[in-house]
Amino acid sequence: MKYRLLAGGSALVLAAVLSACGSSDDSSDSSGDGRTSIDVWLMRDSVSAQFQKEFVQGFEKAHPGIRARVQIQEWDGIGEKITAALASNDAPDVIESGNTQVAQFAQSGGLLDLSDKVDELNGKDWLKGLAEPGAYEGKQYGIPYYAANRVVIYRTDLFEKAGIDAKTIRTRDQWIAATEKLNKGGDQGIYLPGQTWYALAGFVWDEGGDLATESGGKWKGALDTPEARRGMEFYEKLQALGKGPKDADEADPPQADVMAQGKVAQVISTPGGANVVIEKNPDLKGKLGFFPIPGKTADAPGAVFTGGSDLVIPTASGKQEAALTFIKELTGDAWQKKLAVAMSYVPNRTTLASAVAGDPGAAAMAVGAANGHATPNTPSWAAVEAENPIKDYMTAVLTGGDPAKEAAKASADITRAMNSGS
Amino acid sequence: MSRARSARLRQLPLNAAATLTVLVCLFPVYWMISTAFKPSKDIQSTDPQLFPHTWTLDHFRTAVQADGFGMFWRNSLLVTASSILLALVVALASAYAVARLRWKGRRQFMLMVFIAQMAPWESLIIPIYIISRDTDMLDRLPTLTLVYFMVTLPFSVIVLRGFIGTIPPELEEAAQVDGCTRTGAFRKVALPLLAPGLMATSLFGFITAWNEFAYANFLIIKHQDSRTLPVWLSSFQNTFGTDWGATMAASTLFALPALVVFLLLQRHVTSGFAAGAVKG
Amino acid sequence: MSVIRDRTAPPSPKRRAVPGTSGPPPRRRRSGEPRGLWPYALIAPAVGGMLYLLVYPLLRAVLISLQDFRLRQLITGDAEFVGLRNYRTLLTDERFWEVVRRTFLFMAVNVVLIMVIATLVALMTERLGKVARTVVLSSLVLAWAMPVIAATTVFQWLFHSEFGIVNHLLTGAGFSSFDRYPWFAHGTAAFAILVLLVVWQSVPFAAITIYSALTTVPTELYESARLDGASSARIFRSVTLPVLRPIFLLVFSLEVIWTFKAFVQIWVMTRGGPGDATTILPVYAVQTALAGQRYDLGSAASMVTVVLMSGVLVLYFRQMLRQEDEIR
Repeated sequence: MKYRLLAGGSALVLAAVLSACGSSDDSSDSSGDGRTSIDVWLMRDSVSAQFQKEFVQGFEKAHPGIRARVQIQEWDGIGEKITAALASNDAPDVIESGNTQVAQFAQSGGLLDLSDKVDELNGKDWLKGLAEPGAYEGKQYGIPYYAANRVVIYRTDLFEKAGIDAKTIRTRDQWIAATEKLNKGGDQGIYLPGQTWYALAGFVWDEGGDLATESGGKWKGALDTPEARRGMEFYEKLQALGKGPKDADEADPPQADVMAQGKVAQVISTPGGANVVIEKNPDLKGKLGFFPIPGKTADAPGAVFTGGSDLVIPTASGKQEAALTFIKELTGDAWQKKLAVAMSYVPNRTTLASAVAGDPGAAAMAVGAANGHATPNTPSWAAVEAENPIKDYMTAVLTGGDPAKEAAKASADITRAMNSGS
Repeated sequence: MSRARSARLRQLPLNAAATLTVLVCLFPVYWMISTAFKPSKDIQSTDPQLFPHTWTLDHFRTAVQADGFGMFWRNSLLVTASSILLALVVALASAYAVARLRWKGRRQFMLMVFIAQMAPWESLIIPIYIISRDTDMLDRLPTLTLVYFMVTLPFSVIVLRGFIGTIPPELEEAAQVDGCTRTGAFRKVALPLLAPGLMATSLFGFITAWNEFAYANFLIIKHQDSRTLPVWLSSFQNTFGTDWGATMAASTLFALPALVVFLLLQRHVTSGFAAGAVKG
Repeated sequence: MSVIRDRTAPPSPKRRAVPGTSGPPPRRRRSGEPRGLWPYALIAPAVGGMLYLLVYPLLRAVLISLQDFRLRQLITGDAEFVGLRNYRTLLTDERFWEVVRRTFLFMAVNVVLIMVIATLVALMTERLGKVARTVVLSSLVLAWAMPVIAATTVFQWLFHSEFGIVNHLLTGAGFSSFDRYPWFAHGTAAFAILVLLVVWQSVPFAAITIYSALTTVPTELYESARLDGASSARIFRSVTLPVLRPIFLLVFSLEVIWTFKAFVQIWVMTRGGPGDATTILPVYAVQTALAGQRYDLGSAASMVTVVLMSGVLVLYFRQMLRQEDEIR
């Protein structure tokens, strides 16, 4: 009896699946009122829900012929997701992609070449850190969307108590001295996990080194150069001034959660991290400040990795005209300014930098952005990040490994990873 | 008499072992659940606490209020239930044929099933993607259903065949002599005895389909209304890291149905036995 | 014979309800003789499903492993045939062979632990009272049902150098060397934690399956063995084990397959690090595939994995086929 019931149930469920899918498929394409519908993929929390709503309304008002459907994508598995989208017959029309990811997608031929639209989109003023990774073999595929780089988020109250003025910290030596003073009692001078490799990259660039160098079309890991070694030495010195775990990165646990505990004087993060800290611990509202990562000397701010996103159009998109209109609007003056203010981002063009002058986090970021760098601009860099020998190197040195030996090993691993793909 | 005493003596280490098993099994589960109730501030603490000081439902609220919450559940339930039922029906037929009937090619068939068990699903994702794309089956739940059906099928065939093998065929023959058809005999005599096997296979199918992320991520592309629960689980991450409280709350809700399924099937198992079939 | 009568007894109320379907039994039995097509009809759905959903994609995967197949070819669809080049690349990589050795070590350690622990748990569960049994089974299922990501994350936290409760407890118990001990900085420690995690996740399935099989052992066999004065160990050896052997072999082979393919846990927890200390074949395949979306190399690595796995299981296949003969 029970089994017959079960079998009957199975038939019902199967029918339900089939009908559910049949009916929902109808709704998937154009809206029937003569407007063109475009699908836009933006990343989770890259824009606030509020901004998204405002923008879509504004956009559809300005372009009544186009309906924009924004879909929010998750970070987990996004590389595979975009791959699947690019290769499908019916791709979304606009995709937000991390700036360093564009090269590998462009190489595949899945992205529309937008080189002839650069002028129209004010390409001459684009941030280099977004525009360069968005280009591949001289052609522009990614349109700069927004940028963010790391700054120091600090606790104003702890600084005051220790008698330190954050504005006076202009060099690394001053930074170390201040952090030593803060690292007292139950407080950590700085919470710097052992595997925050973007921070290390900044210190290496400051010394004149790099993560990898190219010669004759072949890439080679460069962590074993004297410059890069000096960068790591500084990292080690700084890392010791707090209780950052030596075998984890800043996402595990999220360093904002750690700072929210109230015992950490500084972290290295994009300014948006401050909002997360306050959200987790509202008591810290008004007690967080920002300053650019100090450089070797007071002449220049510390080098930083320019993170951020580009917008791309898949070749498989059926509505490339409308997609371009969307990109033009979102990367245009009016919305860029609003976006930068709403999300504490660096706008995509240098000429718009003044828009965020009033925001302390974004202002600190803009100072650093002047010394922005990128990871090696080649599709094969993705292989390095996939197994990330840099993190292992950092942990090994911090837990007492021989720096020279570990640096040579990490460089060899980077070299191997970068050349295994071709 | 002496048996009773020795039984009681045996009982002590037995209960100790059972307690240990339960503790080891449940500690990580407990950690997940208690984290879901801890305020964010206490989740990562240099002084970890076995019991939360303060309890909060915030994380559950975040988890439940995520966009498309109900839709994710509906889709996952549909896909999981239909792939399990499909696998059970198809597997039961094959298992019966293998365990009870004589035919040419039986060995080859079983070998094929075993090899199917070793299928490298993680690298079949690309070919399956290509095939679905070329047959216009991308972005559809039935595609996922078929994949999960196939992942669980070999296992179901193997297990059910094993279970059918343990039931003496004379039982059915006796029933047939009593006037049942072959199918009738199978249904009334063997099926109740198969309950544990059915339980194991459906649980296996459930957990496989319910947790699967890679295919759900790769085959459901543009049609947002067809996404399944694992996508929901990953929606509490952003560039600043993961909202662990919400993730653990979601994971807790996520694991509940498996327990419900088990408890439901557990009744089937016990009722199968209560009928006196085995202990008789 | 009383056993058989007892067993057929319970459905008797239902039997009365379905006399119509029973038909004239003698004719049915005779018509059962041209069974010829029956079995093939029964397996047809399974075979059809396997051919279209498994064999066909598998052939495509083999084809991909013989082509120059990257993201570009996935999009445009015109892949070039390169023969065995991908396999050559793979098999001449000395790192690959190291990974193979590690995979076997990982598999062996895990499978042995899983089988031993699961058998003990299953035997224990069978001896428990009804309530205790339900509690144990339910906690096994809970552990099994815990999403892999959640389980992996929790284990990662337990062993976190700063915030982990393991270091906290060990330090509290007087082992001061574990104060802020970085577990994931040391290859062996990271390997051990992953083994622990995989065993913890796999035992429930194995234990439940073995337990399910145990319950099908007719109780009379135990009773009579016990009446004969056999010791528990002897009962296990001569009564339980023979009945369990097929399911035991089955669970064993499945665990071999699954630990060989363990991926998510490792990827989430260590990404194969530190160094290569926890890189096993599937992790290696994904790392390789990610190097410029080399689906061809990834496919080749998977094919090699399947071949190696079959190597481990070939004895089992022989055993299984022999069993098939016995049933006949």
